[in-house]
Amino acid sequence: MVNENLVKDVVKEPYKYGFVTDIETEKIEKGLNEDIIKLISQKKEEPQFLLDFRLKAFKKWQKMKEPDWAALGYKKIDYQDIIYYSAPKQKEKISSLDEVDPKLLETFDKLGIPLTEQKKLTNVAVDAVFDSVSIATTFREELAEHGVIFCSISEAVKNHADLIEKYLGTVVPASDNYFAALNSAVFSDGSFVYIPKGVTCPMDLSSYFRINSGDSGQFERTLIIAEELSSVSYLEGCTAPMFDTNTLHAAVVELIALDDASIKYSTVQNWYAGDEEGIGGIFNFVTKRGKCLGKRSKISWSQVETGSAITWKYPSCLLLGEESVGEFYSVALTNNLQQADTGTKMIHIGPKTKSTIVSKGISAGKSKNSYRGLVKMGRKATGSRNYSQCDSMLIGDQASANTFPYIKSQQPNSEIEHEASTCRISEDQLFYLQSRGIEFEEAVSMMVSGFCRDVFNQLPMEFAAEADKLLALKLEGSVG
Amino acid sequence: MEIIEKIKTNKSYNNLTEIQKICLHKLQSSPLPNPKSELWRLSNKSKLSTFLDYSVNEKDSKFDIPYPKNSQSIIRLIIGENCQIKLNEKNYSIHQLSEDELQKYIKEQISFFKQNENWSDLLNLSLSCKNNILGLKINGSKIPPIEIFSHASINSLKAKTLVIFLEKNCDVELLQVNLGKENSSLSQSTFFCLKENSSLNHGVVSYGENRSNLLNSLNVIQQKNSAYNLGSLHFKFNYARFEISIKQAEGNAKTNIKGMQITKKDEQISTYTKIEFNGPNGFLDQINKSLADDKSHAIFEGSIIVPKIAQRTDASQLSRNLLLSNLAQIDTKPQLEIIADDVKCKHGATISQLNEEELFYMRTRGVTLTEASKLQLSSYFQEIISFIPISKQKWDLLDKLLNDN
Repeated sequence: MVNENLVKDVVKEPYKYGFVTDIETEKIEKGLNEDIIKLISQKKEEPQFLLDFRLKAFKKWQKMKEPDWAALGYKKIDYQDIIYYSAPKQKEKISSLDEVDPKLLETFDKLGIPLTEQKKLTNVAVDAVFDSVSIATTFREELAEHGVIFCSISEAVKNHADLIEKYLGTVVPASDNYFAALNSAVFSDGSFVYIPKGVTCPMDLSSYFRINSGDSGQFERTLIIAEELSSVSYLEGCTAPMFDTNTLHAAVVELIALDDASIKYSTVQNWYAGDEEGIGGIFNFVTKRGKCLGKRSKISWSQVETGSAITWKYPSCLLLGEESVGEFYSVALTNNLQQADTGTKMIHIGPKTKSTIVSKGISAGKSKNSYRGLVKMGRKATGSRNYSQCDSMLIGDQASANTFPYIKSQQPNSEIEHEASTCRISEDQLFYLQSRGIEFEEAVSMMVSGFCRDVFNQLPMEFAAEADKLLALKLEGSVG
Repeated sequence: MEIIEKIKTNKSYNNLTEIQKICLHKLQSSPLPNPKSELWRLSNKSKLSTFLDYSVNEKDSKFDIPYPKNSQSIIRLIIGENCQIKLNEKNYSIHQLSEDELQKYIKEQISFFKQNENWSDLLNLSLSCKNNILGLKINGSKIPPIEIFSHASINSLKAKTLVIFLEKNCDVELLQVNLGKENSSLSQSTFFCLKENSSLNHGVVSYGENRSNLLNSLNVIQQKNSAYNLGSLHFKFNYARFEISIKQAEGNAKTNIKGMQITKKDEQISTYTKIEFNGPNGFLDQINKSLADDKSHAIFEGSIIVPKIAQRTDASQLSRNLLLSNLAQIDTKPQLEIIADDVKCKHGATISQLNEEELFYMRTRGVTLTEASKLQLSSYFQEIISFIPISKQKWDLLDKLLNDN
């Protein structure tokens, strides 16, 4: 008989990224109105089209209602009690990393994100975002040699306004949903990636989001454009300090893949999840969507969701181009009082499009973990295929696992397959491993790792190691 | 809320029974589905509105039973035709429920109704007059098969209610036939209460004529060690909605469901099932099949709810769908909501057209394409039809379905 308390102990792990960096910041006053939006735009010295974009989005947001359909329960968010812009004070212009506040570098160092030159050994370019602004982007010159643009979105607005104007809001329009509208109105920073025609990005690109202040929300916006025959792998990581208040994070990610292009977007989300009583933690409302515009284009989402008090996130693919491919691989681990409502949308519009969904949910403690996904075959999606698999694992009798797949088909010459199962850690397997001399803790860890293997296999090397470590950490505990 | 006004003006409010008044009152506070809520349930509100287009008529038109009685032993009842039944045989007894018993039970059920969920039952109960409610108490064993008919009348909206108590250790085979008429709406609500160790093989066959509508609601409460098997078939309705709610009150019960809906032209047929396990060791095996042709729309939404108390539940749900036309649409949403940890729950869904390889194989063996498609369809239908308790000699449903195609 599995000792349930033992399993519970195993999944307990203190949050090690919960420190606060004591740094002087520049914040604007709380609240949200047109003046605040104008102020943000002014601070970022934005062109008129972007201010118009923001104000239009704000008008739409004011008319919208916060969605309540997700299987989530959280206290009402007071949107006037949030600071919409917070930036660490620094010199006017930074020409090199040496001028970045050492405290910031130290912070990212502590988080395991090397920004300083001597540590840039791993072949990953990083854009580090601290509260509302981007601090530094590494390897820019090397990337520029290949024609790859990798910078913060504020810089892109200044230097590549044409691309921003052409693509911003084309995948996730401002009126898409409540949180996307909010983000469109107040987004502060984020990353911008442009891969020119025929270029395979020479290294993985990565952005790292850090929330530092407790009363400001984070609203970043990421835009990735992959031109014909190009390919890129992009990684995203996030952490936040421990506060007993809830912080709002409402991001928008837009991906565009043209003919034969491929984008791989991987996330390890480890925002602070709140304590055992459910106090504090990040409210994570994210809209991520990719558009496979070109023929044979491919967008692949892989995510490891372990943090946040509330997760509301459905990375989606719009499969427009003929023979385009969408993929979604996800591991969501919830513990204590965390609630996650996550999944994907695969909208097949073009002919011969393919999509694969693999979702693994692990719920422990009193948490709630829901998969919610939509697969839709449009009338023109002849010869399209979808395969979905959603497995849930329950640890303890207080956790809940839900599956809500929406499957819609209007095209007879297409195939959709969906399967889902729910189980708990198999006692037989546990007994077998223990009888072979493997410690209880390690056995549970091995089984969880095996359960998630389909997804971990899809993560880039650097992230796979981090994800495995993260789950192992969460599973590491007081046994033995 | 036009319908409420309609009922009120149709009869004077004071003539309504107590239950009708309660239901009307409840309907006012939990209104009928709106376009948005219907969208979440994947269906189309405008079709539901056509259901309510007809006026309430209590008089029944003449009704022809679709097939002759198989043998004398079959018990055949038609709801609304003043049927009196009191059988006291050696092994079994079938009684009509007294007015008081019926009232008490229905009131109790209404008190369990959830906001926004049981509107179709509330609508039914507020419309169905005394003559159109049939309540039965069945006891004993070796009971002959029972057939219960509900039918609509041309150009009107009818509501019929069936309440059946299955006493302990009772074993029954029951076929329910709902027949639509041209330009008509039928609301059928059924309540079953299965006591300990009882078993019910239940068949539901519903079909209509041109422009018929059906709102069919089935509520089952299963006590310990009871077994409930349901085979259902819905076809030929402009709009049909089959809502199944099954509650295993203390777990330790078995439920098997095999359902099918067939849509053509611009029809819309939906099946919504909700299965709740309120105790441990529950078992569910469910398969729902849809076939959509022409411009039609078939919908399935199934939810399985396993609370903490329902440990060792074994539940599986499968939605299999055939989409035969470019203009047809199939939506399916199998859902699992699980809190207990020691459970085995799974669901699956597929949407495709007829298997091309199988068709090709048959054609290489000299079978024509039409014949080969028919063969495939017949095997697709057969799984469900063989689960419906009917006598094949007298009423060949498979033949009816295939030749209709």
